[in-house]
Amino acid sequence: MTTTSALGAPPRGVLGRIADRVGGGLVQAVLVVIGVFWLVPTLGLFVVSIRQETANNSSGWWTAFTKPAEFTLRNYADLLATGFTSSFWNTVAITVPTTVLVIGIAAMAAYAFAWMQFPGRDALFLVVVGLLVVPIQIALIPIAKLYGGLGIFGSIPGVVLFHVAFGLPFAIFLLRNFFAGIPGSLLEAARMDGAGEWKIFSTVVFPLAKPAVASLGIFQFLWVWNDLLVALVFANTENQPMTKALQSQMRQFGTNVDILAPGAFLSLIIPLILFFAFQRYFVQGMMAGSVK
Amino acid sequence: MTDRLDGPPDPRGDDGDAVAAGSSPGPRIPSAESAPDSATGTTPDSATGTTPDSTSDATPDSTSDATPDSTSDATPDSTSDATPDSTPDSTPASGTGAAAPPAVPSVATAGPAAPAAAGTPKAPRLGPSPVMAVLFLLPGVVLLGAMVIYPIVYSVFRSLYDAGGENFVGAENYATIFQDASTLTTIRNNLIWVVVAPLLVTTLGLIFAVLTERIRWATAFKLIVFMPMAVSLMASGVIFRLVYEQDPDRGVANAVLSSVRGVFGSGESYPDARPRENDQSPVTAAQGAVVTKGSAKPGQAVLLPLVGVKPADLASAATARPAPPGPGELAGTVWFDFTQGGGGQANQVDGTEKGLAGMTVEAVRGGPGGEVAATAVTEADGTFRLTGLSPGDYTLRLPRSNFEASFNGLSWLGPALITPAIIGAFVWVWAGFAMVLIAAGLSAIPRDALEAARIDGATEWQVFRRITVPLLSPVLLVVFVTMIINTLKVFDLVFVIAPGSVQPQANVIALEMWRVSFGGGGNQGLGSALAIFLLVLVLPFMILNIRRFRRDNQ
Amino acid sequence: MRRTIITATTAGLALALAACGGGSTGTTGTTTAPAASGGASSAPAAAKTLEGVTIEVAAKWTGPEQANFQKVLDAFQAKTGAKVTYSSTGEDTGAYLGPRIQGGSPPDVAILPQPGLVQQYADAKSLKPLTPEVIKQIDENYTPYWKELGSADGQVYGVLVKAAHKSLVWYRDQAFADAGVQPPATWDELVKAAQTVADSGTPPLSLCGASGWTLTDLFENVYLSTAGPENYTKLSKHEIPWTDPSVTTALEKIAQLTGKKEFLLGGTSGALQTDFPTCVTQVYGQDKAAMVIEADFVGTTAEESGAKLGEEAKYFPFPKAGETAPVVLGGDIAVALKDSKGAMALLEYLASTEGGEVWAKLPGYLSPNRNVSPDNYPSELTKQLAQTIISAGESVRYDMSDLAPSAFGGTDGKGEWKLLQDFVRDPSKIKEIQKSLEAEAAKAWK
Repeated sequence: MTTTSALGAPPRGVLGRIADRVGGGLVQAVLVVIGVFWLVPTLGLFVVSIRQETANNSSGWWTAFTKPAEFTLRNYADLLATGFTSSFWNTVAITVPTTVLVIGIAAMAAYAFAWMQFPGRDALFLVVVGLLVVPIQIALIPIAKLYGGLGIFGSIPGVVLFHVAFGLPFAIFLLRNFFAGIPGSLLEAARMDGAGEWKIFSTVVFPLAKPAVASLGIFQFLWVWNDLLVALVFANTENQPMTKALQSQMRQFGTNVDILAPGAFLSLIIPLILFFAFQRYFVQGMMAGSVK
Repeated sequence: MTDRLDGPPDPRGDDGDAVAAGSSPGPRIPSAESAPDSATGTTPDSATGTTPDSTSDATPDSTSDATPDSTSDATPDSTSDATPDSTPDSTPASGTGAAAPPAVPSVATAGPAAPAAAGTPKAPRLGPSPVMAVLFLLPGVVLLGAMVIYPIVYSVFRSLYDAGGENFVGAENYATIFQDASTLTTIRNNLIWVVVAPLLVTTLGLIFAVLTERIRWATAFKLIVFMPMAVSLMASGVIFRLVYEQDPDRGVANAVLSSVRGVFGSGESYPDARPRENDQSPVTAAQGAVVTKGSAKPGQAVLLPLVGVKPADLASAATARPAPPGPGELAGTVWFDFTQGGGGQANQVDGTEKGLAGMTVEAVRGGPGGEVAATAVTEADGTFRLTGLSPGDYTLRLPRSNFEASFNGLSWLGPALITPAIIGAFVWVWAGFAMVLIAAGLSAIPRDALEAARIDGATEWQVFRRITVPLLSPVLLVVFVTMIINTLKVFDLVFVIAPGSVQPQANVIALEMWRVSFGGGGNQGLGSALAIFLLVLVLPFMILNIRRFRRDNQ
Repeated sequence: MRRTIITATTAGLALALAACGGGSTGTTGTTTAPAASGGASSAPAAAKTLEGVTIEVAAKWTGPEQANFQKVLDAFQAKTGAKVTYSSTGEDTGAYLGPRIQGGSPPDVAILPQPGLVQQYADAKSLKPLTPEVIKQIDENYTPYWKELGSADGQVYGVLVKAAHKSLVWYRDQAFADAGVQPPATWDELVKAAQTVADSGTPPLSLCGASGWTLTDLFENVYLSTAGPENYTKLSKHEIPWTDPSVTTALEKIAQLTGKKEFLLGGTSGALQTDFPTCVTQVYGQDKAAMVIEADFVGTTAEESGAKLGEEAKYFPFPKAGETAPVVLGGDIAVALKDSKGAMALLEYLASTEGGEVWAKLPGYLSPNRNVSPDNYPSELTKQLAQTIISAGESVRYDMSDLAPSAFGGTDGKGEWKLLQDFVRDPSKIKEIQKSLEAEAAKAWK
């Protein structure tokens, strides 16, 4: 270990080192401030959600730490009494099938794009790449009409289907790129052994793609869980997910904050848990498909 | 990077695959998975992995230039994944070890373009029949066709018809977009968004990524900044409604601002106090101060009645009293001239009215604008004495400082600040995304280039500007473009954060499309036109993606 | 959801024993008498004819208003055996119903906050004409004026189920006492009283500026008073332009009140960020301001905030700003969006005296049904208000913005709502505002 390498910085002598030290301290301080900036809004939501309504009306949430007596779980109890639980389960019922379907359908298509020869393959894939950025607004009116005809407007399957369709381009893109990176020799070997395409797909390629599938899964899950617009248009009141349930209380923000805050907090707690548990996949997925 | 690619002549089993592994997108992390096969076990390292190998087999030829960075940076990293930063590190802080390098090439070749890999699978092999391909593609293609492509076509046609969909109106709906004042506002707002938000997000992401490079707790920091990505925009909206509340006692943003301001402003002040209007009041407001209408001579008593003071501000005030002047002095009373319950006489110090304590009173010689001859501060009962005055006419003035409102906070959610306020929330959500991508890009920059520049005497800033930023530009571009697309589609944040009365001022195209189509008016012709307009706006990026992809695919 | 089911079943049990509606909420026995007499002839009090039928009804009510309406639905469920689910549309009913109608899955019954929507949805062929049974109820119980409000092109589509008296000014008694002012009878007195209250240190007015409809209500009262009933009718039909001098006069009057920063709680920008129920709690819960100008239903929120009606929370009739003492009414109209048996039965029930009386016993409700006895109302206050509505004189007018096409008179961020907000923001631009109003109106009426 030479001095240079230990410092990891140009040899600028003692003065330079001191400057680095001080600079480092400054940088740390700045980062602490920024971190607080990023943390405080969410913390505020949490505190408001566990604070008495009257207290919230009369003073800022940050004063609550000096008056722990104000803390209460009543807001949560009140919220659950309004039927919020049903919208929680609606969110689950929309999100889980969507995630599974997107992965399944996209994996098959991606496999075809990566490892099968057929006329127009590249052109078709270019279309998928193009569809990556299509705004969902474009489909609201036509699909509402289409669903009306099919009789699935307002239902959970309708919402799921919409999400699946708009989740596909990204999913196909991501998985196809991953599949393409799998060494061809593996597939060749399987084919030599006489395995059919389905078998190769399900026993060789798909299992190898676990990291990619995990990335995609978490992405898709968060995306659908957090959606508001699609639910706003396509979900009936009895099928509405949490985002829409919250939105309907939003107009009277001032008077409803004691319902909105716990509702918002409940809606973000599952994504947060998932995020912390699977963040590495999350980041990988993001890196791979940062076009969206 | 280049140095490594052609540096150690690794035994690459199949050349094609090695390249593929190198440039394949993020998920390619064989080190995390049990290596699929022996070939890849080595390839990723040779192609991407700067570290474990290079230290071992690069030693003989490049001690001098490989060590400084492999020790300072690479070595800790390659171990760090497991050790100092513990588990969560591997990812956001992924700038480093396993996860990042594979990701970087994907970014470097501009995200979508990652599949330079695409070329590879074309290698000769036993092809399955196209029929099989059709079966595999069918569900996806049907869904995309029916629910993405068909709606585009449908919308194009629908946009040429009127609200009811029965009469063909040609381009009238498109003309409306550019004539209607409210849609023009949305276009203006989108323009602000596109110009400001991506730049802010990218800049902040870059700053954060650079700052965290040498911080030990970078992982924790990155997690915090990155976290909003997991939160729904709906919940973010609720969060920021709370942050932006006007009342400094409730909204954090204004609480912070007013406490900063509070350090400077101080003392007793009556922001709401003002002279009574439209009557015989002896005082009047002038440029924020209150002055007597007439003038007074020493030896006179002067009454300075004010109204409008909040009862809460007077909870502990004493009853006002008249002040008999001594010779050569001006005396008087400043008081809240309003009898609780009504009935008091205007401009008279009635028995129950409260004095305004702590008011600064100035005696101004001659007319307004003259020099200040004496200054006094009122007692608890509102009385004051201005002494040491030479004979003459004086105007009495309660200077502005008496009425300076304690800072009441900015109206973030008002029409003027609403778009910047929402952009603030947007930045909060997306800065983490930019930071993580850029940090990954940073870690892929060859250390020796930086070192060489430093040794040549370049300052940190020069290194940053001349070397880091240019090398990062592909990543920055990807972040920037992604943000532009995101800002064009922004909907939830505006919908949720802007209060009803301010929504027209905060409106954006994506929201207006929803409103027009499904709101009270229900004009689906115009709604379709707006959707197509939005599509046209993202079209350049669609073409960009496709072209980039094709180029990398050749 | 689950709770509804439980209450429904208990209600069913109660009914089996008591054989009368409203049992679930413990309403007193007095329900029985009028319900029996009024309902026996009309609504078939027979056994539960709608067992197993589900009906979805959508309305904008939330909180206590929703809870009260739920009690009416409970009574209906107990009576018929149908299962009724309530969906809240949020404040923008049009935005809620739009996609559902588009998608072919509307609720069975919707309660529209504006008669203007009846015409609009009728034009779009989204409404189902009422059956003769329902129309019979309407003819028996409502004045022709109300019936007309629920009709479009000669066809009856809607039942006015709830009326609102919009010509009231609510005040906090203590604030007036502190300032020593009396409830004013004329506009000038109102402005003067506001000045005095402001001098006393309390902002006189809590304006609900974020809810655009409260501003249209304010305008309508002043306009009806200054321009007279005939001009009012003309302007409602857009037969005179919004650039008319009579509109200028009304806006100038309003500017006397809203143009002064010290008159508005939170100043202009604060007032425009305050939505409807919040502005009431600011007066009654938080004691921050003295007055709020809105309809009878302010009482519900005031009580929620802990103020006693008639003691702390009082009102006075909207002061005369011109020749006419204004009485502006609003209302909610129930329409059928599906041609189902359940939908019509529910509408019939809501139009009946029986249904009206269940509702009348609950706070915050005024019935447009002339056969609902005023004795049902829970307070003297509501009793008086109900009387004014039923004995509607010549100068009574319906809420103008509610009669307008909803793009003009009933959409957040558009038309009259938005432009009146702009006017509050900058009262000096009366001419420009009038021009914009006229342009928007011209677009809406085509």
